[in-house]
Order: sequence, then C-alpha cells, then structure tokens
Amino acid sequence: MEEFSIDIKHHENITILNLNGFLDAHTSVELETCFEEIISKENYRIIVNFEKLSYISSAGLGVFMAFIEAARDNAGDIKLCAMSDKIYNIFDMLGFPILFEIYKEQKSAIEKFS
Amino acid sequence: MNSSDKILFTSSTKNLSLLRDFIEAKAIAFGFDDSTINQIVLSVDEACTNIIKHAHKYDEKEMIEVETKPEKGQFKIIMKYKGNGFNPNDIHNPDMKDYFNDFKVGGLGVPIMKKFMSKIEFVHMNSDYNYLTLTKSLQS
Repeated sequence: MEEFSIDIKHHENITILNLNGFLDAHTSVELETCFEEIISKENYRIIVNFEKLSYISSAGLGVFMAFIEAARDNAGDIKLCAMSDKIYNIFDMLGFPILFEIYKEQKSAIEKFS
Repeated sequence: MNSSDKILFTSSTKNLSLLRDFIEAKAIAFGFDDSTINQIVLSVDEACTNIIKHAHKYDEKEMIEVETKPEKGQFKIIMKYKGNGFNPNDIHNPDMKDYFNDFKVGGLGVPIMKKFMSKIEFVHMNSDYNYLTLTKSLQS
C-alpha cells in the first residue's frame, strides 16, 4: 500500500484534503507542510477526508491541533469527515469531537460551510 | 511461533510501519480481536516514536530492539534502547478540556499507551540500557 499521499481538491472556496495511506510520525510531516501552504495562501476553509486513510497515530492528530486555531481565527475551520470506525475511535477516545466537527460524509461537511 | 519474536531497527520514524507490521502479526498470532490489535499497534508506535524523538533525538545511529513475549493470558512487548530513557508512568495525563481550550500540540502518546495497555513498566538497567515493557492482558 502507498505510504502516504494527499490528493487536494477544491469545492467553491473550500479546500478538500483527501488522505491516503497511513499517518504516523514519519508521514505527518508531509501533511504539516501541506497545511502550512494552504494557510499561507489564506485558505482557511478546509475539509479533511479520511476515507482512504488506514491508520493514524498521535503525530497525525497533532497536525490538526497545530492549524485549527489559525483557521478559526480567520473565520474558517478544519472539518473532518469519512473516518473508518478504527480511526474515529482514536479521535473519540481522546475527546477530539469536543473541538473538531466530524462528519460521516463529505457532503455534510461541505453543507456546514455554506 | 514460526518467525522471530524480535526485531531490531535503526531509530528512525521511517521504520515505524515495519514495526507496526511486526507487532500486528504477533498480536494476531496471540489471538486478540481486531480492535485490541489496533490498540496494541498504536501503543507500541507511540512508545517507539517517543524513544526516537526524545531519547535518541532522531539520531539514526541509535537502535531499538523490540521483542514480543506471549505469557499466560498476557502479551508483552519489550522495547530495549540506549539513551535518556523516561518512565511513562511519571507523566500525568493532560486535562483534555484545557488541552483543547489552549490548542495544545503533542503529548498524547503516553495517554494513548496508558488508556490502551494493561500495564506499563520502565526499567533503567544501567547507564546504557532502558527497558520499556507494555503488557496487554487478554481480558482487559
């Protein structure tokens, strides 16, 4: 399986990051760089689609924590969607749904930005 | 078991996927369910990430040895490494409400290990070696 890749799409003024593979302390650097580029271009409305992500460790979770404040301070957000139960359980166990909006379907995340 | 119960790898995050595959195969052979296997794999990943980051400071000349030991109703993972070891039991879990209010980053590896594993033991054997043992009981 592919180690990790990010497929970036745009829907109106929303940036959608489709994650593939696994997100650990090694591959999370690539996601961090991707977020830095998006935020530097003043794109603050971001959806992360987890449908093709097979694994996440705390290093991956840290990337979302690192950029959520910048997004919200600029009237944007980082909304998460399409997680497998395995990945959702990690987010849920640590309480991430307190801070992040997590949707079953990408469509719902897009609608919330409207 | 028909394959080695020990893996030795250079202290680099690029080896974490190899480590996860090794732990997953051993946990399956021990007879855990899928959910528990995921918890064990994640906990060992977090433990070794901390060793790579904090004890070895990403120095790829350092090595980590990971051994699995199935015992009566228990599955043990022993990580042996040089450097400045630390005992995860000395680290208090963060208050997650404050964590999210303050937009904190990092520091979740130990809480994950504590949540998912039955027991964590740390021994600083001598000036050279540290042993970190994560244990998962079949019942927990």
